[in-house]
Amino acid sequence: MRLQILLSAAEPVIDSLTWTIVMVGVGIVFLSLILVYLFFRYVLTFIMNFRLKSFARKRGIDPAEVVTAKKMHSGEVNAAIAMALYSYMSELHDVESGVITIKRVSKNYSPWSSKLYNMKNL
Amino acid sequence: MIGLLVIVSLAWTAFVKPEREREKARTAAGIENINPIPQYQASDPGNGQLKNGLIQFWAYTGFRNATSGNLIMIVVGLIFIFLAIKYEYEPLLLVPIGTGILIGNIPFFSDGGLNLQIGIYQDGSVLNYLYFGVMKGVYPPLIFLGIGAMTDFSSLISNPRLLMLGAAAQLGIFVTFIGALLLGFAGPEAAAIGIIGGADGPTAIFLSSRLANGVNILPDGTTVKNLIGPIAIAAYSYMALVPVIQPPIMRIMTTKKERLIRMKPPRAVTRTEKILFPVFGLLLTCFISPSALPLLGMLFFGNLLKESGVTKRLAETARTSLIDIVTILIGLTVGASTQADVFLTRESVMIFGLGACAFGFATFGGVAFAKIMNIFLPEGDKINPLIGNAGVSAVPDSARVSEMEGLREDKTNHLLMHAMGPNVAGVIGSAIAAGILLSYLG
Repeated sequence: MRLQILLSAAEPVIDSLTWTIVMVGVGIVFLSLILVYLFFRYVLTFIMNFRLKSFARKRGIDPAEVVTAKKMHSGEVNAAIAMALYSYMSELHDVESGVITIKRVSKNYSPWSSKLYNMKNL
Repeated sequence: MIGLLVIVSLAWTAFVKPEREREKARTAAGIENINPIPQYQASDPGNGQLKNGLIQFWAYTGFRNATSGNLIMIVVGLIFIFLAIKYEYEPLLLVPIGTGILIGNIPFFSDGGLNLQIGIYQDGSVLNYLYFGVMKGVYPPLIFLGIGAMTDFSSLISNPRLLMLGAAAQLGIFVTFIGALLLGFAGPEAAAIGIIGGADGPTAIFLSSRLANGVNILPDGTTVKNLIGPIAIAAYSYMALVPVIQPPIMRIMTTKKERLIRMKPPRAVTRTEKILFPVFGLLLTCFISPSALPLLGMLFFGNLLKESGVTKRLAETARTSLIDIVTILIGLTVGASTQADVFLTRESVMIFGLGACAFGFATFGGVAFAKIMNIFLPEGDKINPLIGNAGVSAVPDSARVSEMEGLREDKTNHLLMHAMGPNVAGVIGSAIAAGILLSYLG
């Protein structure tokens, strides 16, 4: 009963244009983002795979062996691989020759910090 | 706080009350239209001249012209500044807005419509020129440019289905639109109020500056109300309160099992994908909703500056200096637009009520849609519904709420990177919704 009263009071305010705006509004927001979703889910994946495969063909690699965009590793896996590579590369320098060399560097004379000019000549 | 209240009460007793009593006495005596400023008389000799000068000076001071409304708004401004500095609640927004409220509510003489070019609503004043950027919707697209230049869309590109959560959370906009109509607001005003549900300050300012600007004429011949100030303040206030508003709704709507869902880590995204996203995102969304072009165009342009890798200087400027300058101007002028006589109205109270509902419905929409998506998704690939709330575009606060709620259930389940997807989708979704409302009611 109360709902009926509310709806009847709302009738002049909530007209057909309002419902049109709401329905079209919700629909278009979803439609736009669904389009973006479809593009990035399918079209972009297709473009990326095509580029990878054509790149592989140029290098003479079998396209079937190329990791496609869908199967790409997560950032965590990439980080683990990068860490492993970094550790491996940095460990290459663990063994040092043990020879210490001191190279004398020749410098032009500059009086800027000369003791002679900084002491009071009493 | 107690000190503030004491100061306000003293000011009321000292300035406002006596003036009201004088007004009452004048009305009772049947004296009307008394010019409160005794004009300076050059011919007055000696003491009379000095006395007149002092009276005139007094008439022009803020103490003489203060109203209770001004004092209330000054207290509100001080609270904003206090919250920003003490608790660091959105300080980049609340400090300029709070200071703007103080500036906008310094009382000045304007009896009889006298224009001393001081106030923000007085033609020719400096503040009025700065307010032009809000009135004509110049600042919001510039803010969007900066947002685009600082946003990483990787999480969205790697898992594009999260875009749907950004769309679902726009439910708050349309529910609030209907609510505002039921409360008696005109169509354009209701649309401007509804956009608070998008949880996006610049979008709210952009749409209200177009639809509820106090200038447009309605079909029945009346002028729309100027609601820019209340809408902007409500939007920014609730954005700062996202960590308070959203968690209870998220907890009520989800089961413990759902809150423990672990999502697959996002895959790595290539540079080409990152470059193609702003280009095709712009084309796809703006072809459908061209009215959103000022916002989405600038958002995607800013992102292209960032991702192209060849315009580092421009991207750097957009995400630092430019957005900082515009934030200062928009915060200050929006704050100053809350001049008591314009802001302290019944409509403002209703807008604040509707704003709270808008955020609630937006959170509900996002979380509910995540649950619906889970019905269709295979086991092991489900979405944690706690990221649904991030569909509102309060970046990155709502994503941070998802992270905190996820960690509350499982200390090793980090949801932030997943929540950033719907969060940036929400920015796009609210701009599209604003464009649709503008195209119908603008």
